Amino acid sequence: MKLPTGVHFDNYEADHAWWKTRFVWIRMVLLLFVLLWVIPQFVGDYWLSFLNMVGYTILGAAGVQLLIGYTGLITLGHAAPIGFGAFACALSMYLFNIPYLLSFLIGMIAAGLLSLLFGLPCVRVKGFYLIMTTMAMQFITVDVILTQFLGPLAGKGRGGVLAIEPGMFSIGPWVIYSVKDAYIWMIIICIIVQVFMANLMRTRVGRAWMAIRDNDIAAEALGVNIVYYKLLAFFIAGALGGVAGCYWLTNLSIVSPEHFMFPWSLWLVGVILIGGVGSLYGHIFGAIFMTGVLEVVKLVLVPLADIIPGTMEKFLYIKDLVFGLAIILFLIFEPNGISYRWWQIKNYIHLWPFSY
Amino acid sequence: MEWKREELRVEKEIGEPILVVENAMKAFGGLQALNNISFEVRRGEILSIIGPNGAGKSVMLNCINGLPGYRLDSGRIVFDGQDITNWPPHKRAHIGISRTFQKIELFGGMTVLDNVKLGRHMKMNTGWWDGGIYWGKAVKEEAKHRKWIEEKVFETCEIEIYRNRITGMLPYGVQKRIELARALAMGPRLLLLDEPMAGLNLEEVEDMTRFILDANEEKEWNCTIILVEHDMGVVMDISDRVIVFDWGAKIADGPPEEVQNKPEVIRAYLGEVEETYITRR
Repeated sequence: MKLPTGVHFDNYEADHAWWKTRFVWIRMVLLLFVLLWVIPQFVGDYWLSFLNMVGYTILGAAGVQLLIGYTGLITLGHAAPIGFGAFACALSMYLFNIPYLLSFLIGMIAAGLLSLLFGLPCVRVKGFYLIMTTMAMQFITVDVILTQFLGPLAGKGRGGVLAIEPGMFSIGPWVIYSVKDAYIWMIIICIIVQVFMANLMRTRVGRAWMAIRDNDIAAEALGVNIVYYKLLAFFIAGALGGVAGCYWLTNLSIVSPEHFMFPWSLWLVGVILIGGVGSLYGHIFGAIFMTGVLEVVKLVLVPLADIIPGTMEKFLYIKDLVFGLAIILFLIFEPNGISYRWWQIKNYIHLWPFSY
Repeated sequence: MEWKREELRVEKEIGEPILVVENAMKAFGGLQALNNISFEVRRGEILSIIGPNGAGKSVMLNCINGLPGYRLDSGRIVFDGQDITNWPPHKRAHIGISRTFQKIELFGGMTVLDNVKLGRHMKMNTGWWDGGIYWGKAVKEEAKHRKWIEEKVFETCEIEIYRNRITGMLPYGVQKRIELARALAMGPRLLLLDEPMAGLNLEEVEDMTRFILDANEEKEWNCTIILVEHDMGVVMDISDRVIVFDWGAKIADGPPEEVQNKPEVIRAYLGEVEETYITRR
């Protein structure tokens, strides 16, 4: 909470605002301009689709951040609501011809309800046992419900793959067709999700979640209904997963249970661990880093292939190796995640040239 | 500003019982932590519960508060005419029971302001949708409660300067004050204080005593207080009535001066020391 000298407020509303100075306002508007105009204008399709992948990871990790980072409910099955949301959206478009935005909403609510259903054990169990129930959610939903029941509903294809015609994703007159469209839609959704989460965390509900995370006995003595808020966390995290799933469907216009396997759940947990647990920037930095490392590895290895024979054949192993190394190094040198380092850098710049 | 403080105070009058505990029994395994305890707390008074370590004072407080694992085996707890024996803690909080803990139970990773705002949790009603869009209602409510907290709670407990600090990094004495502030923010009718003076230095004890008296006597708070405390000086000075526990049983109940001179109480506190020496001799 550091403000430049001379900045003061006359009312509490102004003190509660996110962006308090004109400098920050200008910075954020510039950022928005860069994200929505400069990048789609000057960046090629390959890197746009890379950014789409980053956006998908951000959306997926947002729900994990809410559950693990803010409510303290460790989940290893967040790919389940993502997949379920994607399938619900796809099926309602495919079978019932429901318009895209409405299907999006259906996907969100379906994913939220699924997450809520499998979150019910949290009333009685905690910690490791809750992890087991979330893993059960992963395996029951993706390996059974999606492959055996929801996938075949479309009546075509094999292995539960569902394809939607790309032209069907339309919001009013705007058809989300090209990579650039998907990119702009991704930025819009990410901003909405991020603003929603940020607002939740500074009002009553978010504070109740953080109270449960930090000290559930004291929270209950303060009048927080723990059961209700834990279930609410599962519902909203699931709905955010649904958003991610629906976006994934929009981006690929194809959806398969194979996209939502257990490693993806673990990946999302890794994203927030590296980005920073319990921080609103955590899942963004984590997603950029985790997706970016792959690209960096690729950029380094492809030129090397001419010099060292066999590099391309071993690409997958090297990729995994770099990943493992990155995670270990992060846990050793920056256990609080990238967002903590970001906060330190920001503080340093704000206070420069003094140290405090 | 002394005159102003006086103006804020209510004429202290002790009314009808607000909390009644009847034949409370609680055992942990083979240990009878509460053995047939009955007492009542009257509106507006400061009731102190004292006794040696392990006498069941904190257990009694936890039972009144209804923490998990602290449901009475038998007996009744009646608050303001309602039988709350089997209520969950958050429901008890809603009818006006608030507490501080012996071991500080603040939310260490959050700011002081957020901690106190959490105390305000049940007086607010922003839901997840209103909070998420943060428009109109939620903004107004946040500002309204912030104003209230700044003007009443922070003013009473004198923690304004810490409002944006991370709670876990503050000194112990300040954390004790924040805990009291958080309990007061709930606007309680009955305030349970579990050793608020433990680990404080003399000056901090004086401050804390003043805050407790403010909570009891100022118009804004006007709380009935149950105080569990080992600092006999404070207990004898500020309580209206003192209850003494020993081995889970109530052995004395009355005004401080009377309790102080009871032989059972002296024996409970000093143990059977004298007799031991007698047999040795």
